[in-house]
Amino acid sequence: MKIRHSLFSRRQFLNGVLGGWLGAFLASLVYPVVRFIFPPYQEPDEVILPFSDFRDMPPNSVKSFAWGSKLGLIKKNEDETYVAFVGVCTHLDCNVTYLPEQKKFFCACHDGWYDENGVNIAGPPPSPLRQLTLIIAEEDLIIKKESPEEVL
Amino acid sequence: MKNRILSWLDERLGWAGITNFLTKKTVPLHKHTIWYYTGSAILLFFVIQVVTGFMLILYYKPTLEMANASVARIMTEIPLGWIIRSVHSWSASFMIALVFVHLLSIWITKSYRKPRELTWMSGAMLMLVSLFFGFTGYLLPWDDLSFSATKVGTDIPRAIPVVGAWATQLLRGGEDVTGDTLTRFFGIHVCILPIFLIILLAVHIYLVQKQGMSLPLEAEGQQEKAREIPFWPNFVFREMVVWLILVGILFSIALFFPPSLEKPADVMAPAPEGIKPEWYFLFLFQTLKIFPAHILFVTGETLAVLLILLAVVWFFFLPLFDNKPAGTRGKIVTLLAYVFVLYALIMSVWSLL
Amino acid sequence: MIRLRPFFLTIGFLVFLLIAWAGNTYCSAQLTETQGQLKTFQEEKEPEKIVGAPQDVKQRTGIWVFFIWMWISIIVLVFFLRLKIKEVDRLNALRFFSAEKK
Repeated sequence: MKIRHSLFSRRQFLNGVLGGWLGAFLASLVYPVVRFIFPPYQEPDEVILPFSDFRDMPPNSVKSFAWGSKLGLIKKNEDETYVAFVGVCTHLDCNVTYLPEQKKFFCACHDGWYDENGVNIAGPPPSPLRQLTLIIAEEDLIIKKESPEEVL
Repeated sequence: MKNRILSWLDERLGWAGITNFLTKKTVPLHKHTIWYYTGSAILLFFVIQVVTGFMLILYYKPTLEMANASVARIMTEIPLGWIIRSVHSWSASFMIALVFVHLLSIWITKSYRKPRELTWMSGAMLMLVSLFFGFTGYLLPWDDLSFSATKVGTDIPRAIPVVGAWATQLLRGGEDVTGDTLTRFFGIHVCILPIFLIILLAVHIYLVQKQGMSLPLEAEGQQEKAREIPFWPNFVFREMVVWLILVGILFSIALFFPPSLEKPADVMAPAPEGIKPEWYFLFLFQTLKIFPAHILFVTGETLAVLLILLAVVWFFFLPLFDNKPAGTRGKIVTLLAYVFVLYALIMSVWSLL
Repeated sequence: MIRLRPFFLTIGFLVFLLIAWAGNTYCSAQLTETQGQLKTFQEEKEPEKIVGAPQDVKQRTGIWVFFIWMWISIIVLVFFLRLKIKEVDRLNALRFFSAEKK
């Protein structure tokens, strides 16, 4: 169906193209600014530590390591198995500590408690501590990001 | 809708006076109108400097240990950091080049005549602030070249009698160029100079608005017959064309000729070969070099520095010196502008040979 | 007459999205490269000099793409701005605005 009159005047069209293109040009200048100001943070895919540092840990104790720029905790359980957590409280990002006598992880910021498996049991934390995959390979302790099934 | 918001604000801010003034402001049209574009072009590059400077300061670490490494990180690790640094570095040169063009156009058209003497003086101070911005910024990457250039540059005031040693110590934060110098230059570059510049700029721009655009000597007295165009939107649209082209040139050069970074400065190493300051100081550098070590009972350097200081003071008071622009003295002053440009060009090229 | 400002805003926004997507693809590719460059930088002894620009082909292509897009944009914008200048000058000559000022 042919329209009898123009939808817009020539002036409106030209003004629109000018403004639109100027906006697109400025946006293409703003984009690198935004990328610069928000640099991507990437967690490490894996961290390899010498097993000798952790072999002599007493059972029911915890040792810290660097998981990127976050706190990582390696816990030796009473049955001599090892487990790794990201030692950051799921409430508001404070670092947690392990209290061996009570067998609980404790966050001092807002009184958050996790049990010995990192499951949140009391206080504001909404979810358990992130557990990382831990593999012992001869002389090395390899800690990897949890696999996708485990995350769910 | 837009008008409702604007009038709501106007009822409280009372800025209708400013907007009315801007809509009524006119710009004269004559053969020297093209130089009117230089002022806003300087402002454009200054804004670019502020924006890129805001971004660089997010990652730059102004300590002796981390300065060079943080710049290296910006260039390699931060996304597109090298472009931001390149734009900042080139825009500085563009801005100072335009400051020189602006200054020369005012000098040659004698726009500093009464009643615009204060505009000239605030402009002269703005130029000194811009040069000092360049000087302090140059040290911040803390590589061999910038360290040596700063050593030389901060040693020059020492040649001034009486206050010389004190001036050098003020700049360096001690006897030598150290980490304290770096921190001091950083604070001057990002805090002290911006405050001075904004105050001076406010005075300068206020004066220009209050006194209107100046007319060249020939056109004076024919105010009514002068052709003019409204500032908004006619002149502003023309300025936008100039800005777009300048930004295009800046980005083209910044994308394909980004500055590199040398390894961190070694305080104990001998000065590297080919040490030189930024291009806008080359002619001063060469002037110092041509003076012999001793003249009568003063060092050549002292004489050179005093001459330069004298020239700067004369330059600052130029409108008062050139108070009869149409006369002989006026013609000599105009000639001196061309002499100065020739001198600066010859000296700069000579220093590179 | 139908007001078409929202139409142009949508077009402008879609263009912006297109640029943002292209830029993002370019930037994430570039991020992997810069991380690679950083690792090399950390591994070898401090290099004598760090060159200003990325050296790999993907990023250098990206630079050329941006350069061409920028100049095309500037030419288009200057063209339209000159049309606007002619329009406004003509209106000024016709004293179109001075009637309002009184």
